[in-house]
Amino acid sequence: MDNLHIAATATSPEIDFQFDRNLLSLKGESYPENAAAFYTPVIERLRAYLASCADAVITVDVSLTYFNSSSTKMLFSIFDALEHATSSGNSVLVNWYRDDEDETILEFGEELQIDFTGIKFNDCPIVG
Amino acid sequence: MNIFEPLDKDSAIFELAQQRNLIFYHKGYFSHNIVAAMSEVVKLQLEIAGVSASTRRKLFSSFIELSQNIVHYSSDLLVDGGDKGGALREGAVCITNEGERHLMMCVNPIATAAVNDLREKLEPLRNMSLDEIKQQYKISLRAETPPESKGAGLGFLTMARDASAPLEFAFYPRAEDPETTLFCLKTII
Repeated sequence: MDNLHIAATATSPEIDFQFDRNLLSLKGESYPENAAAFYTPVIERLRAYLASCADAVITVDVSLTYFNSSSTKMLFSIFDALEHATSSGNSVLVNWYRDDEDETILEFGEELQIDFTGIKFNDCPIVG
Repeated sequence: MNIFEPLDKDSAIFELAQQRNLIFYHKGYFSHNIVAAMSEVVKLQLEIAGVSASTRRKLFSSFIELSQNIVHYSSDLLVDGGDKGGALREGAVCITNEGERHLMMCVNPIATAAVNDLREKLEPLRNMSLDEIKQQYKISLRAETPPESKGAGLGFLTMARDASAPLEFAFYPRAEDPETTLFCLKTII
């Protein structure tokens, strides 16, 4: 499967899914005009890749400094897909990078951990 | 001769802006690209005004939710956008500073038929504590997106969560155009 790379814009994050290395990354700010239109094809590619994984060790680096309400919903779907992959023998580690004073992103990370218990969640506060 | 003299009458707007500690104001058309450009201005203005990082984040978040609401839902549109995006709709947004508080307001026309629906979404938020707002946010996060919503139905909850007082809103009927109503929303951060 081909890797997926989408360059960042002012309002959408860089998507760097190196499927061949089991290394996925989302980085930047996320408030695209239409979050569903931006993320739906990304999630489709992610699901196709995850369906092909068996006993893989997958690392996901998330360093989003801001995401709007509709992107928040889409991130939840990404985590849902990752959680599914853990039930077929894969191991998923998420590195959750955030400003150490950003309570909103901290709290959203906590919500993710409540729902997606199969994912190893590594909170990575960065001192600004 | 005072070179500013001929401007005195017309400069009243600048004086008012100064008195009200106007940080940002835009009235006119909103598209995604315009919102992106305004975001840059708002970020910079808040930073040089010395606003704390935590307040800046909340103001920026509310600014995006408000502005994107105008792009998606204002009834005064030049370009609909549809599924391909590129919508262009009219409204106004304003950020001022009042002591420790920041006020953010937006105004845009909506279909009069949509007033009750919007009121039903906003009114309950006014009576909720911050904990209740966060609980409701968590529920909405996991719920299906309402079909008429381009977002997640989370926008107002996000704003209510970031506000330090209940969201205020009002609807002003337009005599010249009964099919549309002016919707005004104010948040204090």
